Amino acid sequence: MRPRALYVHIPFCRVICRYCDFPKVLYAQNWAFSYVDALLDELSSLEGPYETIYVGGGTPTALPAALLEKVLFALREKLLPGGEFSIEANPDSLTNEILGVLIHSGVNRLSIGIQTSSEKWLKYLGRTHSFAAAKEAVERAKDWGLSNINVDLMYGFPGQTDEEFAKDIKSFLALDVPHISAYSLQIEEGTALYNEKAAVDDDRCASFYETMLKAFRQAGYDRYEVSNFAKPGHKCRHNLTYWHDEEYDAAGLGAAGYRDGLRFRNTRNLSAYLKGERRSEEEPVSKEDDIKYYFMTNLRLEEGFALSDFEKRFGFRFEERYAAAIQAATKEGLLSMRDGRAAPTDRGILLLDRLLLLLY
Amino acid sequence: MAFDKKLIRNFSVIAHIDHGKSTLCDRILELTGAVSKRELKEQMLDSMDLERERGITIKLNAVTVSYAAKDGNTYIFNLIDTPGHVDFSYEVSRSLAACEGALLVVDATQGVQAQTLANVYLAIDNDLMIIPVINKIDLPSSDVARAKEEIESRIGLSCEDSCLVSAKTGEGVPDVLEKIVELIPAPEGEEDGPLQALIFDSYYDPYRGVVALIRIKNGSVKPGDKILLMQNGKTYEVTEVGIRNPKEVATKTLSCGEVGYLCATIKDIRDVFPGETITLANNPAAEPLPGYRKINPMVYCGIYPVDSRKYEDLKDALGKLILNDASLTYEPESSTALGFGFRVGFLGLLHIDVIQERLEREYDLDIILTAPSVQYEVDLTDGTTMRLENPSDLPELTKIKAIKEPFVAAEIMTPKEYVGPVMQLCQNRRGIYEDMIYFDDTRVILKYLLPLSEVIYNFFDTLKSATKGYASLDYELEAYHESALAKMDILLNGETVDTLSSIVYRQNAYDRGLRLVSRLRDIIPRQQFAVPVQAAINGKVIARADIKAVRKDVLAKCYGGDISRKKKLLEKQKEGKKRMKAVGSVEVPQEAFMSVLAIDDDK
Repeated sequence: MRPRALYVHIPFCRVICRYCDFPKVLYAQNWAFSYVDALLDELSSLEGPYETIYVGGGTPTALPAALLEKVLFALREKLLPGGEFSIEANPDSLTNEILGVLIHSGVNRLSIGIQTSSEKWLKYLGRTHSFAAAKEAVERAKDWGLSNINVDLMYGFPGQTDEEFAKDIKSFLALDVPHISAYSLQIEEGTALYNEKAAVDDDRCASFYETMLKAFRQAGYDRYEVSNFAKPGHKCRHNLTYWHDEEYDAAGLGAAGYRDGLRFRNTRNLSAYLKGERRSEEEPVSKEDDIKYYFMTNLRLEEGFALSDFEKRFGFRFEERYAAAIQAATKEGLLSMRDGRAAPTDRGILLLDRLLLLLY
Repeated sequence: MAFDKKLIRNFSVIAHIDHGKSTLCDRILELTGAVSKRELKEQMLDSMDLERERGITIKLNAVTVSYAAKDGNTYIFNLIDTPGHVDFSYEVSRSLAACEGALLVVDATQGVQAQTLANVYLAIDNDLMIIPVINKIDLPSSDVARAKEEIESRIGLSCEDSCLVSAKTGEGVPDVLEKIVELIPAPEGEEDGPLQALIFDSYYDPYRGVVALIRIKNGSVKPGDKILLMQNGKTYEVTEVGIRNPKEVATKTLSCGEVGYLCATIKDIRDVFPGETITLANNPAAEPLPGYRKINPMVYCGIYPVDSRKYEDLKDALGKLILNDASLTYEPESSTALGFGFRVGFLGLLHIDVIQERLEREYDLDIILTAPSVQYEVDLTDGTTMRLENPSDLPELTKIKAIKEPFVAAEIMTPKEYVGPVMQLCQNRRGIYEDMIYFDDTRVILKYLLPLSEVIYNFFDTLKSATKGYASLDYELEAYHESALAKMDILLNGETVDTLSSIVYRQNAYDRGLRLVSRLRDIIPRQQFAVPVQAAINGKVIARADIKAVRKDVLAKCYGGDISRKKKLLEKQKEGKKRMKAVGSVEVPQEAFMSVLAIDDDK
């Protein structure tokens, strides 16, 4: 089956955030031009059309408007009518000019990286915008009619207090957007925070998470995935492709994809990519691995998976083959088996590794 | 036909790790034509993988080669290999007793290393002729003058007859062969006297029984002879004798001065401890050769399979290892926490390491080792005495009159400037000062009585770091003495884990308990629920640390790029879980059971 989703990576950033481990480079005009050429070349080999397209980064909106438009126009051709067309943006790059390009190109979902409402922690993360500027960016996007907005929230900074986080929750809810992605800070190798040996306190993160879950649910958001909250009708269709463990295409520097039973990743080396090098890692997914991936992704979802879907995909019944693990997991309060579905409990979502290890 | 013993040279090679002993041995074998270059497996004397990886020789070996010297004679060289660790110093001394000379290999880029000294002194004790061989002279950083100076000043050996070589390129090695002929004395002994053969090593062969490696000191031996092992009194009939070149070649006889192997359908390797003397049953020697010491295990620990279904596999593996290792003992034991396993006796901690790795690697077993313990003597109120190898077997307090622990007489040789730190260390370890001897201008020998239990806990490593590596340690069992000891139990989640119990010196109990519980808290991964870790003596809790419950382990984000990596991480965790043991409802990793060892009392 042809993938229904496409991920496109734009690696450029105007500033490098101190926590980010995605493939990225500082914006340089000559690279940006060659990159867009190489990317369009890669895109021309993908047939499409897609139900969802997601342009991520880096910072896609770090591109000059004209270059961005070139990319988005090419992508628009590959989108099915009624498809979801998302793009990531930073508050300071959401100028009227860029917003115009987005609307004009058919982008219908915007994901804005804001992270925190605290000026102190924005600085800690290496963000260059203020929270006021972020608020303005959200308002501007809404004014342009782009109201299907996600904002990224981050928590668990070393030393972050309950009060600080409570304020973040309140401020983010006040943005009144239909989708919030909330991530605990992860310290990844190769980032500035890793180099200065920042450490995250998992217990505090768990407390923050619980506080946040309660607040967001009260405000009418559903937690449909570990870190994703949406008002009814606003789940990210593209990301659900990942969590349903379905195949998807990918293009651009360091982009990871999954098609024809093969998980792959493009080179993370910019000059190699510009020379036409593409896939650098490939992993054929065995039947056994396929099941593992299926659990890893689907159990991130609050609704888990339908037992009938599992049987259709793998040819045997989950509840039979995994009877012992299911019993252990339900006894530990990690898994619920109800209404023909296997789904993680609230506890199981936080202890997903534990749940997965029982199933492995 | 007996070979003219004037043409025999028996020697071993002493060197610090990495100073090029194996390469030099390879060159010697190559030059004497024992093995062709094509056949030459790198470093063939170290045959076990494990040895090669760790750069230490555990199992001794001996090779016979012939050498056509410049004087026109063809000589027989017997090259006898030695291990290099304090756990095995007795075996080294027996191997050296089979030689008349030794090559001392010193790396010209590094000079004399402290760790070499212990074996050099053993060689001097055995009256061996020592030829200094300065190696790696091809390297730009080599400093021959300094190496010579250090050999003369630190060891007290003259360098007049030293050889300069590069074992790697082969430069200078022919000169070594000539020096061996010239300087190392030919063996002495009475060819027609009653047989005295020294066993310096042995190994088990499934077809021929135990193969003993021997040095004939007097007389000769041939197939058909009835032999008597003088220490254990058993007799056997010789089925085969021969030399190893390095392949085994049967010969008609082995005579005075020669080195070779002997088979006599000996079933149990424990009948032929190193140092044992072989003589003829119908014409026995008046007395056995000197230096024999019965090897007894010094430390004991429990070995359990992680998966209890593998008990029989573990039993088979130990049964096989013991065939080739006379110093290993084992007997079944059981633990409420770990199920069925074995209490195994070892020479020392390195010996434990080696056996653990062999069980894991060669026999593919997942095992759990408990903390090593010495053997205690417990006087009971009913007048009887029990021997205790497993702390959890200690009877209840009311039945105990006294607990005695083994003490060793330790001799520590150290450069003068470290006497203070060494004395401090011995004092911390409950040592009883005996004597201090000025060995020469620079070195001092300290004599202490030390509880063996203190010696096995990192003593050697701590001693080395307190003396920048220059101290050497030798010890032997002295006697059992009464000490103020108590059993310290460890409770996980309120339940005593029998395999974590240890016998501690009362005065140190609080401190050790505290260190141990916090160490266990760090090692044991967080569980689904909070787990208290307690240390208790006689049912009274003396220390506590809590393992907090894990509340969250999920990764916040998981998109395309992360997912393969995440799967690998989970698979690794799954592997790690296999090596954990469920004790009650707590999952405990392997290393927790050994954690008592990692506690450093000297910090």
